Amino acid sequence: MKTSDAAIAVTGLRKTFGATVALDGLDLRVREGEVHGFLGPNGAGKSTTIRILLGLMRDDGGEAVLLGGDPWRDATALHRRIAYVPGDVNLWPQLTGGEAIDLLGAVRGGLDKTRRAELLDLFELDPRKRSRTYSKGNRQKVALVAAFASNAELLVLDEPTSGLDPLMEAVFQRCVTAERDRGRTVLLSSHILSEVEALCERVSIIRNGRTVETGTLDDLRHLTRTAVTATLAAPAPGLTALPGVHDVTTDGDTVAFQVDDGHLEAAMTLLAGAGIRGITSRPPTLEQLFLRHYESEATVR
Amino acid sequence: MTGTLRLIRLILRRERVLAPLWILLLGSLSAGQAARYARTFTSDATIADFATEMTGNKALLAFSGQVYAPTLAGMTVWKIADTVFVLIGLVTVLTVIRHTRTEEETGRAELLGSGVVGRAAPLAAALGFTWTASLLTGLITALGMIKQGFDAEGSLAFGLAVAAVGIVFAAVAGLAAQLTDGARTAVGLAGLALGVGYVLRFLADGSGREWLKWLSPQGWSHLVKPYATDDLTVLGLSLALTTALTVGAFALRARRDLGAGLLAQKPGPADGRVRSPLALAWRVQRGLLAGWVTGFAVAGVAFGALASAIPGLADKQGDSMREFFERYADNGHTDLVDTYLWLMALSLGYVCALYPLLAVLRMRAEETTGRAELLLTGAVARLRWAAGHLLIATLGSAAILTAGGLAMGAVAGDPWRVLGAVVLQVPAVWVLAGIGVLAFGLLPKAAGWICWGAFLFVNLFGEILGPIVGIPYATSKAVIPFLYLPKVISGGEFSAVPVLGLTVLAVALTAAGLAGLRRRAIV
Ligand SMILES: Nc1ncnc2c1ncn2[C@@H]1O[C@H](COP(=O)(O)OP(=O)(O)OP(=O)(O)O)[C@@H](O)[C@H]1O
Ligand SMILES: [Mg+2]
Repeated sequence: MKTSDAAIAVTGLRKTFGATVALDGLDLRVREGEVHGFLGPNGAGKSTTIRILLGLMRDDGGEAVLLGGDPWRDATALHRRIAYVPGDVNLWPQLTGGEAIDLLGAVRGGLDKTRRAELLDLFELDPRKRSRTYSKGNRQKVALVAAFASNAELLVLDEPTSGLDPLMEAVFQRCVTAERDRGRTVLLSSHILSEVEALCERVSIIRNGRTVETGTLDDLRHLTRTAVTATLAAPAPGLTALPGVHDVTTDGDTVAFQVDDGHLEAAMTLLAGAGIRGITSRPPTLEQLFLRHYESEATVR
Repeated sequence: MTGTLRLIRLILRRERVLAPLWILLLGSLSAGQAARYARTFTSDATIADFATEMTGNKALLAFSGQVYAPTLAGMTVWKIADTVFVLIGLVTVLTVIRHTRTEEETGRAELLGSGVVGRAAPLAAALGFTWTASLLTGLITALGMIKQGFDAEGSLAFGLAVAAVGIVFAAVAGLAAQLTDGARTAVGLAGLALGVGYVLRFLADGSGREWLKWLSPQGWSHLVKPYATDDLTVLGLSLALTTALTVGAFALRARRDLGAGLLAQKPGPADGRVRSPLALAWRVQRGLLAGWVTGFAVAGVAFGALASAIPGLADKQGDSMREFFERYADNGHTDLVDTYLWLMALSLGYVCALYPLLAVLRMRAEETTGRAELLLTGAVARLRWAAGHLLIATLGSAAILTAGGLAMGAVAGDPWRVLGAVVLQVPAVWVLAGIGVLAFGLLPKAAGWICWGAFLFVNLFGEILGPIVGIPYATSKAVIPFLYLPKVISGGEFSAVPVLGLTVLAVALTAAGLAGLRRRAIV
């Protein structure tokens, strides 16, 4: 497999925990220098994938290549080039936040002192407090400062902002953008869709341990439905029967529906026949896209 | 206090395996001992003889307490009571902390506290549960003794004496949980109280200064003198202390915030000097080690002081005395002071065995809390991470024993021989460390059980449990690493073979555990 342009190349990854199949042939490809969104409902297997990539556990099948190396065999060497932020950061109660940041920097092969100071400022973090007294968000900030101030090529972030307030969320987004501009690669697992939408060039959506969608956000939107709201001169009763048209609601002379992209033309022709007075159409938001996967999962189960 | 009952139900569910286990084990230990003595001493005369001999054995009296009744029932209590007191104190401390401070530390209390659960409810539930469990242990003890044919009044008095120790130390733990903001520190604090109570009682019985016993909760339960005077009024002291501690704990709980301790946290340095896994391991482990070194130095002074109170030769040399010397001396050596010192060296070793296991469990805690993961996703190989903790665990064991040996030897007036005898225990302690590492590497989820189990097994099996279940000491001692060591201070010749053998075993266990760690998933 050619991996030179991919920071992460995962194919057919499998992992089971007893009877639970956590990963069932998962594919994931993260190019160098991109911010890649990693999405999926709870229990889909995101953290499991990340833990395999970090060499914390072994896969049961498939292939994973990280920065050109084997995540399990070459773990220590690879980790010099990686910074990881877990969703639930637990720190050493004996250390202060500043001490924890420096320790994490030291074991990752270096920390940029000026960046560290800037980041502490940006995140409004007091490094002299004992870790025990930090709130969840502040513990997460410690890990984020350590990661952003490190010289790692690849940042692996597993729900890194679940404890941040909106102000800090904005700071986080600025930092990720800056990282990308510096040419670093970011794998970002997140449930905060606005964050993914703002930061990620490409995303992979997984469900039940399998990749169900992958591509740029624009690609994904094209694969999907368009939401249409139209004000009509006369009723268009044939609309509901049209293939590819969903969720039709009528309110007076206004009709709203969703249509699969392949059937857009037929729907427009029908509407035109009824006389269009006004029309708006939008691509679906990532949220709608994503909700479809949630819903179809609910029906699968 | 609203929600206390609901919390008790939760505790019952979480303790459904562990609590019945210790209640039954501790409750049946005494009857088991009685059955064993009934097999050994078949007439009133033999038991009376045994009692007289033991009364003359100051070295053993320090461990077991005075002989108050020269009967089968009385000697059973003499033999087993202190062991039961120590164990019930230990489990009640661990149980109360587990359901109070640990709950707060992990944030689970917060989850519950936001429901309809009063602020004092977790403490009330933990104490209520543990007190009931202690009473149950006492009840089973009493019933078992009655079933052995002992009189009911004495049996009940003994049962209450057992329960009282559990009840007092549950309250001690309840208070300790309010003082500190970490579960481990709380266990350490309550464990310290347990240790002080033990040492005071030990000194009282070893030196014959009975009044010292009045300062120790374990001492009060001894002073009940089951089957002799059955003096339950002494337990009024246990009750009074429990009340005072409990009132104090609830008062503190009412005044502090969830998760906070009494001692406020001062800000620390903004920059770190902790830059390697070893330096971090030292930070994580040094508090525990310092506590143990201090504890052993203090205990060493106390145990050493007793050496001068022991007569050089035992008064009477019957069967039991012969057996005593056979166990703890070699080559026909019968100097009681020397034998006492070897027994003390062994005992320090037995207790010290817990330290490396706790150190290994601390490493396991680093893993389960996700802190190890932060390091291991840096350029830190697993073995390097583990090596830091293991270095401290192994060298720390040696440091603890050295501290105890130096103190005991200096006070006993025989510094180098005593130090040598105590430090000799190190390889046996390392074997326990090896078992801990093996568990950590191969069965991480069961590591806590295995470590505590191994510690209790080593402490109880050879002398007490083995004989009770019908395995003679000569056989049961074969699985206790300490009993392979040459009795250098009481007539034995130093030999490198057991020392090297135990060291090799420890290294092999550790290597197997580390091999497992390299291969397994980090949770
Ligand atoms: N150590 C483990 N032992 C057993 N099962 C596990 C373990 N780790 C994960 N699982 C299971 O594997 C599946 C995938 O879990 P994973 O944590 O990877 O999901 P996730 O996508 O990160 O979810 P979330 O969005 O909730 O973080 C789940 O069904 C989970 O219960
Ligand atoms: Mg996850």
